[in-house]
Amino acid sequence: MARHIHIVKVHHLTLSFPTRKDPNPKPVLDDVDFGIRDGEILGLIGNSGCGKTMTSLAIAGLLPDNARITHGSIKFAGKDLFAMKPRDRRAMLGKDIGMIFQEPSTALDPLMTIGRQLEEVLTAHKDNTQSGEDRLKAVTDMLELVGFTNAEEILSRYPHQLSGGQRQRVLIAGAALLKPRLLICDEPTSSLDTVTTVSILALLKELCQKLKITILFISHDLSAVRGFCDRVMVMKDGKIIDKDTTSDILSNPRNAYTAELLTNARLDTRILGLEPANVDYQASPVLTARDITAGYGRSLFERVRKTSEEKTDNNVLHGVSLDVYPNEILGLIGGSGSGKTTLIRSLLGLLPHEGTVSIKSASIGAIFQDPVSCLNPAHTIKWHMAEALRSSSKDPGKGFKGRAKALKRIISVLEECGLGAKYLNRRPNELSGGQRQRIAIAMCLIQEPALIVADEPFSSLDASSSAELLKLMTDINRERHTAFLLITHNIHIVRQICPRIIVMDEGRICEEGTTAEVLTNPRSECTAALLEAERRIHGI
Amino acid sequence: MTRASRKLRSPEASAFYIAGILLLGIVVAAFIVSLFWTPYAPDATDASSKLLAPCADHPFGTDNFGRDVLSRVMAASKYTIFISAAGVAIALVLGTVSGIPAGYFGGFADRSIMLLGNSIMCFPGILLALVAVAVFGPSVANVIWALGLVFAPTFARVCRVGTMEIKELDYITHARVMGVKPARIMALHIFPNLVSQLLPATVIGLANMTLFESGMSYLGLGVQPPDASFGKMLSDAQAYVRIAPWLIVFPALMLVFYILGLYFISEGLRVSLSKGGK
Repeated sequence: MARHIHIVKVHHLTLSFPTRKDPNPKPVLDDVDFGIRDGEILGLIGNSGCGKTMTSLAIAGLLPDNARITHGSIKFAGKDLFAMKPRDRRAMLGKDIGMIFQEPSTALDPLMTIGRQLEEVLTAHKDNTQSGEDRLKAVTDMLELVGFTNAEEILSRYPHQLSGGQRQRVLIAGAALLKPRLLICDEPTSSLDTVTTVSILALLKELCQKLKITILFISHDLSAVRGFCDRVMVMKDGKIIDKDTTSDILSNPRNAYTAELLTNARLDTRILGLEPANVDYQASPVLTARDITAGYGRSLFERVRKTSEEKTDNNVLHGVSLDVYPNEILGLIGGSGSGKTTLIRSLLGLLPHEGTVSIKSASIGAIFQDPVSCLNPAHTIKWHMAEALRSSSKDPGKGFKGRAKALKRIISVLEECGLGAKYLNRRPNELSGGQRQRIAIAMCLIQEPALIVADEPFSSLDASSSAELLKLMTDINRERHTAFLLITHNIHIVRQICPRIIVMDEGRICEEGTTAEVLTNPRSECTAALLEAERRIHGI
Repeated sequence: MTRASRKLRSPEASAFYIAGILLLGIVVAAFIVSLFWTPYAPDATDASSKLLAPCADHPFGTDNFGRDVLSRVMAASKYTIFISAAGVAIALVLGTVSGIPAGYFGGFADRSIMLLGNSIMCFPGILLALVAVAVFGPSVANVIWALGLVFAPTFARVCRVGTMEIKELDYITHARVMGVKPARIMALHIFPNLVSQLLPATVIGLANMTLFESGMSYLGLGVQPPDASFGKMLSDAQAYVRIAPWLIVFPALMLVFYILGLYFISEGLRVSLSKGGK
């Protein structure tokens, strides 16, 4: 096969989504021009909605039907992709161009075993030279290559029996099976915890070297890009505004936008003005939980059949106790599956549990991970806010006066969260992820809770939005004296704003103390593992 | 709903809508006009003009009692539309009121509600409706109640499954954390999001209910003489099908228009809503 210097050459590509109303809209990709060199790992960074994903879809030929390319061309290994027949392009997918997506939980068919799904990849490309045994061998070898020590066993598992990181490995194995020349990774690590992220990145790098795969790595996690990519391109509003070697761009940004991205990613407390309130640990805690034990999956049948001793086996939490003090931002970290989310579900009273939870406040607020489903698509923002106000004890009442008062409060809370009155009549689908998370916070704030529980609110936001959200949270903490219980994978965030942290592992609290102490002097293995992963990814 | 469909309507959906509205429009127009005016009184007999073929005076001909078929078809559309709409309304209310709590609470509530629904569904629907009408006596009100009950489990299932999906989403959890009461969550947080699933089910329900009603009237247990319904007209015309085919053709055509129109509209809804569901 002829080797080209650039395996993919995107030539002045302009792409837009024309509608009947607006035949010449603002292009989504504007004169995008770059090449991916054979064998390199190219990073593509930028905020949400800047066109990163569209670029990758254009290369893979998976653009939505209503997208129109107004200008430019894409060449893959010298062949013009737009001049090819749709059939030939489809044949290239998987064989020449592989893709890995963000969400490993939905990318696998729940009713097929891993072995069958991976074999399907081979049979779909009609490679008749291989016998069934050969295929099985290829699949097993590939699973071993992606780091499964028990490949034979994995073959017969179903997706729900694997963790998020394992599923992502299976997907990578599936993409690498056909030994594509280009692998497009669209935020492959953003829904994984730090430990898993590090192992996935190491795996991708190994594949890149062993199988000579070129990788286009799309991410908004700059720290992942730093140690992983050879070159980086920065995208803004559909334009590529900067491209160079990784070290050049990330240590020496040449334009204001890249510098801003870097500042946001670094979460510099002084530049962003993150100042959490001082905490008085002598005060009585706003939330006290003692010996929380909880678990899932006890159906009626199991409850009848099993004895009480067996029942305790499927518990996710084992006797967790914690206090949250007023004004404090308490960090809760731990790997995936350590029981963080189960704990907060118990604290919020959403899950039946053993043990006691006492709260010194009329209500607790909560913000969740997914900005897409955190707001009800059927209602306007105003309705959301009014509903939150109504269900709190602070409802100013019905009638004209009450409603006018309520509206005034809603607007003032929205403004406090950096959104104005113009958002009142919008619906959730007209807002960005960061804006939706702000609305979720505003809905909590209007109830004036003493504590807000935030379950990984940053993990699906890009660096700029999460920096803004973080600033908002610290501002609320400082000005309103609201305590936060912050659950996150991102140790960096915890280090910057949490005075005290709790580390969880396998349903137990394995370490607790001031952030400085725990993170500089970890006493438990799981904290050390998390820190090691963070050190590797951030290169600190 | 109109917002979503206007924004996302595809040419395919538009074609379905247009065809559906045209066909349905014929029946609805006949219904509306019949409220104020029919060419003759629908039950006025005229011994001198029995079994007349379609002519200028009687465009759809006359039946064995000399009643004008056009007038009767117009009057029949009233019962058909009224019974199907009222029956679906009852089924919809019963279905949502039982299905949403079943999906939301799960466990015992779910089991008992679904047991009730499934036991209704395991009988052939028309048989159950016939039994109900046979016991309580044939009248329009009884037909509506019977059909409403028979159709309710279908809607309950749609609601239950939709609720089970939606209740896992963060905005419902959020509402629960905020302290919104379950009844309000179901009515104001969940129900509006079920509309996109209930709408096509409702339109299909209208069509199916019309077929059931026609079947029951055909068997003599629905609309009672001298009132006309499409099913009743078809069964009356059966004896004269060789000598007076127009007695069958026109009511049958109206029935086909009504049902086909509803199916087209539901298909249009399905296409446009599933596109919008992304």
